Amino acid sequence: MTLGSKRSWLLFLLGLGWFFVLLWPLLGIHPDGSLTFAETFEVWGYVSSVAVAVMLVYQLNKSGALEFVTTPLERVREKGARVYAMAPRWLWLAVLIGFALSYPMWTERYAQDVAVNVLIYICLGLGLNIVIGLCGLLDLGYIAFYGVGAYTYALLSVHFAIPFWLSLPVAAVLAAIAGCIIGYPTLRMRGDYLAIVTLGFGEIIRILLNNWMSLTNGPNGILGINAPGIWLPDFADGFTLEHLWLKQLDHIYYVILALAIFTIIAVRRLNFSRIGRAWEAIREDETAAELMGVNTFTLKLMAYASGAVFGGLAGAFFSARMRFVSPESFTFLESALVLAMVVLGGLGSIPGVILGALALIALPEIFREFELYRMLAFGGAMTLMMVVRPAGLIPAKRMGKRGEEAE
Amino acid sequence: MRKWILCFAALALVLGGAIGCSSDEPTDEGGTAEQEAQPLKIGSLSPLTGPYAADGNDIANGVRAAISVVEEQGGIPGYSEIEFLPQDSACDPKQAVAAANKLVNEKVKGVVGAYCSSSTIPASEVIVAEAGIPMLTPASTNENVTERGLQNMWRVCGRDDDQAVVAVQFMQDFLDAKTLYIVDDKTTYSQGLADNVERLAKEQGLEVIEHDHVNQGDKDFSAVLTKIKDVQPDVFYMSLQNSSTGALMLIQADRMDIGADIVAQDAVYHPQLIEIAKDAANGVYLTFGYIDESTEAYKEFKEAYAEYGEPGAYSGYAYDSATVLLKAIEQAGSTDPQALREAILGMDFQGATKHISFKENGDSGSNYIIRQVQDGKFANYWNPATGETY
Amino acid sequence: MDFFIQQFINGITLGGVYALIALGYTMVYGIIQLINFAHGEFFAAGGYMGVIILSWLAGQGFMQTHPWLCLGLSLALTMGYCALLAMAVEKVAYKPLRHSSRLAVLLSALGMSIFLQNGLMLTQGVYDKAYPTELVSGAVMLGGVRVSVMQIIILGVTASLLFGLNALVFKTRIGKAMRATAQDKVMASLAGINSNRVISMTFAIGAGLAAAAGIMVGLYYGSVRYDMGFVPGIKAFAAAVLGGIGNITGAMIGGFIIGMVEIMAAAYVPHGGEYKDVFAFIILIAVLYFMPTGIMGENVDDTRV
Repeated sequence: MTLGSKRSWLLFLLGLGWFFVLLWPLLGIHPDGSLTFAETFEVWGYVSSVAVAVMLVYQLNKSGALEFVTTPLERVREKGARVYAMAPRWLWLAVLIGFALSYPMWTERYAQDVAVNVLIYICLGLGLNIVIGLCGLLDLGYIAFYGVGAYTYALLSVHFAIPFWLSLPVAAVLAAIAGCIIGYPTLRMRGDYLAIVTLGFGEIIRILLNNWMSLTNGPNGILGINAPGIWLPDFADGFTLEHLWLKQLDHIYYVILALAIFTIIAVRRLNFSRIGRAWEAIREDETAAELMGVNTFTLKLMAYASGAVFGGLAGAFFSARMRFVSPESFTFLESALVLAMVVLGGLGSIPGVILGALALIALPEIFREFELYRMLAFGGAMTLMMVVRPAGLIPAKRMGKRGEEAE
Repeated sequence: MRKWILCFAALALVLGGAIGCSSDEPTDEGGTAEQEAQPLKIGSLSPLTGPYAADGNDIANGVRAAISVVEEQGGIPGYSEIEFLPQDSACDPKQAVAAANKLVNEKVKGVVGAYCSSSTIPASEVIVAEAGIPMLTPASTNENVTERGLQNMWRVCGRDDDQAVVAVQFMQDFLDAKTLYIVDDKTTYSQGLADNVERLAKEQGLEVIEHDHVNQGDKDFSAVLTKIKDVQPDVFYMSLQNSSTGALMLIQADRMDIGADIVAQDAVYHPQLIEIAKDAANGVYLTFGYIDESTEAYKEFKEAYAEYGEPGAYSGYAYDSATVLLKAIEQAGSTDPQALREAILGMDFQGATKHISFKENGDSGSNYIIRQVQDGKFANYWNPATGETY
Repeated sequence: MDFFIQQFINGITLGGVYALIALGYTMVYGIIQLINFAHGEFFAAGGYMGVIILSWLAGQGFMQTHPWLCLGLSLALTMGYCALLAMAVEKVAYKPLRHSSRLAVLLSALGMSIFLQNGLMLTQGVYDKAYPTELVSGAVMLGGVRVSVMQIIILGVTASLLFGLNALVFKTRIGKAMRATAQDKVMASLAGINSNRVISMTFAIGAGLAAAAGIMVGLYYGSVRYDMGFVPGIKAFAAAVLGGIGNITGAMIGGFIIGMVEIMAAAYVPHGGEYKDVFAFIILIAVLYFMPTGIMGENVDDTRV
């Protein structure tokens, strides 16, 4: 057989049959006591034909029949890698930054809006990456810090008219305090116990935001938050400073771009510092790290706090950009989304997390055309990506065996 | 050396192709009638997925029905066809804004939506305030929607403060209630309404025994219902964001036999309330906009909506919103925001749900009455204007 | 006093529902040390399958003549269906990742959960489905306290499933294989246990339990919706952890505690209704703070992300 073994095709057909058995009761049994098959066959046929096509390509590739396509592709890729290796790194970075800076000039609002979202999630993903990727603590309630940051700026802006730039450090500090509060009782726990407790904390913060009427205005959210403002020198008549509200999308884009670049640099520095190495030691083997004199307690708290800081910063920006916050933005699903970015991109790897954010924010937007099928495709794609690349798209270099949970 | 830059480049290209495909047609800023017939794009914004998908799809279907009616009558002069772009807001402010930006990008000429007030408010900042595109909400009853001075934000449904007035008036004048127990489920809409009812009831001298809350997504209300049974109020006012929660609460209340009159509101009003709660729904009072089902407009709507099943609570309002929008575009002969605003302000006709005319701030007035579930059907029950039953 | 007893019964019932779902969580966790995020969706699928089969039987006219037979039949069919579904999910989303990091598996489960939830929505519509509740209506009055037949059934089913499970795990060959696999996969394979089959079986059993819970919930509350798996899923997960994850009796205890805390908070604390979830999570955190492995948990091995 050139097209894979008999056994693999048999299993494949069995799978399709299985799918039919699962699908039919949902589509074919009706409350009026009738049974139909037409609709089920239609849906099933649609799915099967796609599956068969994929299977065929896969088997052809395995048997080497597709070499006329893959070989040139491979060559192109190698060439690309060579070109990439030839030019110095700073050149590529410059190209990337140039691309990011010029982005609003040749795109429309919708693309800019998506880009702003991607950048927000890059900040969030990098923050969570400190907790999970570096320190190895599974946190399922990370979005709580985002909420704390968002509400901090919202309240400061609405009640005291404090400008955005001054609120940023306040939001960061408050988020760090929240991080310590959450971190403290959970430090004794490990693995999945930690997961459910952080999830619980995330939910507690969301419920507080939703119910503490006097502070947060509850489900109504907070309206009328100021956009970030800047002072521009104006030389028209003498020298005055002109105040400009950054309300437009392409302006706000640069604010979050700056924030994201700041986050990337900060996380990179942390990653290659003594603290970063200590975190990785904790991730690989906590007991050994403790014995070698790493103060695990303080360092874990620090991981929580510094992860929370970036969440808080992103949150403050989020409320400045929406000019409206409500608790609906801080659900568990958001936490799961950020977690997905980190894992999908590659634990502990900065470019990985950036790529993950790009993929997971842009995917649902691309699927927008599918209307109702949007989330279905999203969920399916997430599982598929994990199965294909379990270590993430760009795994970190310094990932030990223990972090990978060797059986 | 990792190949990550390449990955980026590939992904950026894909993204650029997918979302950045900027159409290079010139924007029709003044919006005179197009040189050649182009499709007229109309958008909608409502939760097509997530917990409010039922009402969200009702809204999209209502717009579809309105478009099909206009298409049958020959469409809008100057346009080849009406293209409908339903967007999913998922009742999440962030996604609502993303969807709003997409609609602005697609150069829609008007938007029907959104459902959740927390989506309508930030989305209108983009659609109305920045892009000047008219937005008509069929379902957001929160006062803030039309109280922000936006020039092209219209509301086709009623307002929470008006709804509360009718509810309290009914409890006092007709049910002769002395004590009241309020429960809401902590959403923008349900809590706003419940707070209004509580305030008014206290002003009117009713005793509010307690204002309790449940959470969105709860299924078990036995604790709060046991409490209600214990204190025996005259009226139990339940303010909930969606009809399925309402149905669950009615079933459990009926089982416990709490003994109070139950008054609910428009978000609970949906055919599925009766479908699920069955006999437990009988006797429930609801505040809902008065819909004269004998009018021509309503019959036309029913007929157009038939392919989507039984109309939901907001299907009719969405239908009317879309009708207003299409009429305005036709009358104004352009899509200039100012011209559209004048055309919409000048509206005065009988829609499917109400007599359509707008105030300066964008409200279209409320006409709440009390309806009751009788023998598995919604029926008009009490008219606040006359204080009589129908 | 009647008020307290009535609330107590409410708490026991809700706890029973959580316990039923938590059992499945704990089973799967015990064997592959993995939080199965899609578990809540098996529960939702069970609720849907139950209503589909029951209404079909009603449409055929069997419901009116043999109500209890119909109930038993739908329960059996639904459990079977969910077992098949769970095995399929395990093959697609878990098996290829058997040797990857635990986070990868967590995410693939999360993706599956979103996929299944939306699959239910697309095939069954966005509207709620009503259960034929008249099947088991009626109640017993004990003094001033009302206990409905459905509450008794829920507790009965929960208890009997608990005993059945215990018997299965500790008295049968497959149970022995499960325990062996849970302890040491490699060693169990060397001893001739087909660990893939055992894991598949565990998923099937766990999902069967969730399906039973789905039907119970549908009958008790009267309707099902496609996203009903999410909130109880999280609560049941909390319950399983509270009791000591991997421990069957612990899952039961945890479920009852969480259910009871929620009801009592709503009943006795001012504004308790809106903060009841906060109370449930605070209890969870407090217990774990003093007993890091839960109430019945054994010493946790040094596993991590």
